[in-house]
Order: sequence, then C-alpha cells, then structure tokens
Amino acid sequence: MGVETDVVDIILNGKAVQAQSGTTILQAAAANGVAIPTLCFHRDLSPTGACRMCVVEVARSRTLVASCHTLVTHGMVIETHSAKVLRARKVIMELMMASHPDFCLVCDKANICEMRALSAELGVGVPRFRAKKRFYQIEENPYVIRDLSKCVLCYRCVKACKEVKGANLFSMARRGFEMKVVVDDDAALDKEVCRDCGICISHCPVGALVWRPDRFRKPTDSARTSCRPLVIKG
Amino acid sequence: MPECRIVLRNCGIVDPASIESYRAHGGFQALRKAKQLTPDQVVQEVKRSGLRGRGGAGFPTGMKWELAARSPGEAHYVICNADEGEVGTFKDRYILQNDPYGLFEGIAIACHAIGARTAYLYLRAEYHHLLGQLLRALKETGDAELGCHIEVREGAGAYVCGEESALMESIEGKRGEARYRPPFPPNHGLWQEPTVINNVETLMNIVPIIQNGADWYKTIGSGPCPGTKAFSVTGDVERPGVYEVPFGTALAELVVDLAGAVNVKAVQVGGASGRVVPAAKLDTPLTFETVLGAGAVVVLDASRSMVELATQNVTFFAEESCGKCVPCREGNQILLHLLTTLQQRSGKEQDIDALRELSEVMMISCLCGLGQAAPNSVVDTLEHFGDEYYSMVRR
Ligand SMILES: Cc1cc2nc3c(=O)[nH]c(=O)nc-3n(C[C@H](O)[C@H](O)[C@H](O)COP(=O)(O)O)c2cc1C
Ligand code: SF4
Repeated sequence: MGVETDVVDIILNGKAVQAQSGTTILQAAAANGVAIPTLCFHRDLSPTGACRMCVVEVARSRTLVASCHTLVTHGMVIETHSAKVLRARKVIMELMMASHPDFCLVCDKANICEMRALSAELGVGVPRFRAKKRFYQIEENPYVIRDLSKCVLCYRCVKACKEVKGANLFSMARRGFEMKVVVDDDAALDKEVCRDCGICISHCPVGALVWRPDRFRKPTDSARTSCRPLVIKG
Repeated sequence: MPECRIVLRNCGIVDPASIESYRAHGGFQALRKAKQLTPDQVVQEVKRSGLRGRGGAGFPTGMKWELAARSPGEAHYVICNADEGEVGTFKDRYILQNDPYGLFEGIAIACHAIGARTAYLYLRAEYHHLLGQLLRALKETGDAELGCHIEVREGAGAYVCGEESALMESIEGKRGEARYRPPFPPNHGLWQEPTVINNVETLMNIVPIIQNGADWYKTIGSGPCPGTKAFSVTGDVERPGVYEVPFGTALAELVVDLAGAVNVKAVQVGGASGRVVPAAKLDTPLTFETVLGAGAVVVLDASRSMVELATQNVTFFAEESCGKCVPCREGNQILLHLLTTLQQRSGKEQDIDALRELSEVMMISCLCGLGQAAPNSVVDTLEHFGDEYYSMVRR
C-alpha cells in the first residue's frame, strides 16, 4: 500500500474492493458495479446533497451519509442497500411525493420523469403522508414553460445555469416548505430573460421546466407588438 | 450544590462599560501570558484541559484548534458564534451584556493559537440592542491590545444560521443554508480557509484555562466533561435565570434546588431540539453523554401536555428549516400535520406509527443538525408519555 498508488481499500456490501482515492462513494460504487439511486445529483454538476436519496450506511457514522458528496477513505465499510438504507430512501421518496401534484397523467415529462422512475424502483405508490401541496401559476417565456408546482427543489436548474452556462439566472429564495427557485427578485419567468439554450430544461428531473412547443414558430405581428396574456394550461 | 462561576466570573463584578474596570480585575493578563507562549503551546494547554464546545455538540476545542492551526491556507479565521438561536437560551446574551472584554480576550487568544488575524463575532439579529455596546467596547480595546481584528456581523434572524456551515455562508453574504460535510471548517471553513468556530461560552473558558492551567481546570466537573456549564432555566420555575454549575451536577439540583421548580412533570434540556427527561429521571447527571445541548432548560409542570410540547417544537422547526434537504423540509411539515391531526382528535393509530418511522428516518438522513434533532422531542415524549398520544386517537 504505497502512497503513490491512488487506490484505497474499502468494503462495499461485504466485499473487499478497491476505489480511486478522491472519488465519492457514489462513483466508487458505480465503478464496482453497484448503482445507488440519486435525484438531485447530476454528473455535469457539483454535488448538492439536497435530496438525500443516495444515502448509504458507513460503519461508525452516527447518521447515514450521502454518497454523492462523501469521499471514500481507506478502510471505509459501506452498505448501500441495507434494510435501514432502503427504508430511509423509501420514506424520503414518500415525503417528496406527498407534496407533488397528482398531475402525472397530463405531464409532458411523464415517461421520462426521473422521480417517477425512481419511485417505481423504490416501490413507492400512493404516499402514506398527505399534507400541503405547492401551487404556483404556470409561467411562460418564449422558450420555457415553468410549473413550480411540480418543482422538487433539487437545485439542478440553478446549478446548470450557473456551472454549465455561466449565466446565473436562478437562485433559491425563502425557506422551509416555502422555498422556491426564483428569477431576479422573485419575478415571473414571463420575459425573454435568457436565450434558448435549454440547459435548465434538460437538467430538470421532473416536469417543472419544459420546452415551449411553439418556440420555433415565427411570431405573429400582434405577438411582436403587444404583450401576450399568460396562458394557463394543465 | 452551589453555583460555581468560571464562565460568569466577571458578571456583576466588572463594569461592562469600562475597560479600566476590566483591567483592574486582572483583564488581559491571560492574553499577555498566551503571547509569551508559542501558538502550539496554547493549543496543547487547551487540548490538555479537555475543554469541550458549549454550542451543543461538545466537540473537543483543543482538537478543533489543532486541526485548524495545522491546516494550510492563505488566512485563518476565528468565528465566535453568538447566534444563540436555540429556544430558551439566553446565557450567551448574559455574557455579552456583562463581560464583553472577557469574551474579546478569549477570542484574541484563539487567534494567537491558530494564527488568525481576523475574527468574526456573529451576533444574533435579535441582539441588535447589544451592538452599540459591543462596538464601543471593541473600539476602546483596540486591535493593538488584542493582536487581531474582531469584526461584528449581524445575523438576519434565521435559526439555522447558528449552525456552523450556514453561519459561514451567511458571513460570506450568501443564503443561510447548511453545507455538506466533510470538508469540515478547520480545513475548509469561511471562504474555504481553515476556520475555528466556537460558541461564546466555550471562548469564555479560555482565559481561566490559560491563567490557571489545564490541571486546575480538570479538577472541576466530571471525567470526560471538565469545567462548568451555564444553563438558562425557564418554564414552570420560581427563579428563572442563568445558573452555572459543574458538569455532572444532577438535573434536580439545577431545576429544583437552584431554580425552585415544583410539581415537575418533565424537563426539556437543550431547547426545542433537546431531549425530554421525565420527572422520574431527574437524578440524571448533566453531561454531554447524557443530556445537554446548548444549555436551555425548560421545566414543564403537571399541567402541561406533552403532545402540545412536541407540536410547538415541530412548528418551530418547520418554520426554521432552511429548506435545502427533503427529509427536513417536507418531513417537518408532515410531522406537524400528523401532530395537529392528533390534537384535533381526528388522528388514527397508524399516524402514531408514521410519526415514529418518520422521526427515525429524519434523525439519520437530514443534511444538518437542525433536521436531525427536530424530531427529538417527538421521539422522547412518545417513549415516556406514549399514553397521551394514544388517548388522542379517534376511537
Ligand atoms: C440548527 C443548529 C443551530 C445551532 N445554533 C447554534 C447557536 O445558536 N449558537 C452556537 O454557539 N452554536 C450553535 N450550533 C452549533 C454550531 O453548529 C457549532 O457546533 C458550534 O458553534 C461550535 O462551537 P463549539 O465547539 O464551541 O460548541 C447550532 C447547530 C445546529 C445544528
Ligand atoms: S436539515 Fe433542515 S436546516 Fe439542515 S440543511 Fe436540511 S433543510 Fe436545511
């Protein structure tokens, strides 16, 4: 075990394996053929640690640790799919579903929704918990349709715009259950505040951000000269 | 057991508005003594004293300083955490009001020990009325006397900004939300530089330790918890206030003998995020290993409902959650919903099971200590006063 070898020994689900030092538990597990579910994590972006879906058990740790932002260390003993971990993931998904609107049947992203796929994988159906939901007006600009009612507050649009595009259009505001992704000082996303890069849309795991279907159509004269009324869909 | 004043040594003795008064009572002698030692000697003395952080977690202070001192960086920082957001604590305010110079001296010694030139004092927004007095005292003391610059930063009223990583985000001018750890502050703290962050009360112990030595300090308190602890006692007591007692003192001595509680049903130790101790266990010694937290002690007499207590605490956390992580943001909302439903007598027995399971998951999966500790009072009242919950179920 030399210092120059960039490898650490870990025990992953009972098996002694090796991992690159400086990698996260998530990466090390993937390299060893173990898939850990994630939601707020995206390989293009820096880790956030917001959804807690990727939690795993690490020996001698008081709490579970999120694998997307915790680096492997020599001798780490990791359980990625123990009963304790699976129960935590399931409850976390139930919590997320509890405040999610029941619009899946009419959602543009239904079949490519990461949250829906993940809840199926975890075996979460109708959530046990029923409380408040978030309802916001649907917003549209020439390219994007944004429905914050469906937003799961994963930070991916915020980070994609900042880290990939370098534009910093979005930020988080308010706290607790009221937290939301805002543009400017919580202005509506109804103006052409950015060009049609769509980075935020492709990084949104759910149906909160979708392309405007008519974005390639030539604007009519009336649309060019007057402000169009907000169209409420869905 | 009577009070034992180390942290509150100058309170009521030194005039907090007069630096001359502080000097006359031996002020700045410890700082001068520390400056004659090497930084590492100071760190080792604090380490040997066994001093542990008073902000809630009880982390060994000397070890924290050593990590930060040895960690490379362009600058090192010391932060004094005076956010005191925990429900029911006011011991830090008492210190800030009565002994500002003693605190500055402790901060200056910490700066010397880890090689910091700048320290921040993060003051709770609700303590704005103390700002003038603190700035005046700082100006009077001067950077030359301290050997470092202390800057006061005011919070904006968020409980989570007392949590170390959220506090640093706030000082950096960002939204107050917790960072993931590791990396820990001694390696990558404020502006990603090595940082020591300590509670007000922790730093108040530094002057006596340097002056009297670690061996003296270790004779006070109990085993792994040397020294004293200041408690803010409130609730159903005759004499609420700040009391300083050695670690290991029984809870009963504090709340009954000193504060004059009668007809106790339960005591919540550590504020809204603290543990609930039933009256039968009042002989529990006060140490980090049993119950403690930040030192808020709320006494509840026989007239109080435990479900109501848990509901009030969870209401607080639902309001104060920063919103970053799912189990805390959504979990507190659901806990609150389940508790309210029970109180309205429309809950079912499954709701109590759900309370239990959700609490357990939140405690192990939340990103920061706020969410991890939010269900504490639910779990404890369910354990000790479960009947109260079941009697509320709709039959
Ligand atoms: C939600 C939350 C709130 C906190 N609030 C405070 C606070 O108001 N004051 C404080 O000193 N520490 C507070 N802490 C503890 C700090 O994160 C940190 O551990 C402490 O300032 C370290 O200092 P110490 O080692 O001297 O205790 C809080 C922790 C959490 C998780
Ligand atoms: S536990 Fe609560 S306060 Fe802490 S990061 Fe998560 S949402 Fe924010």
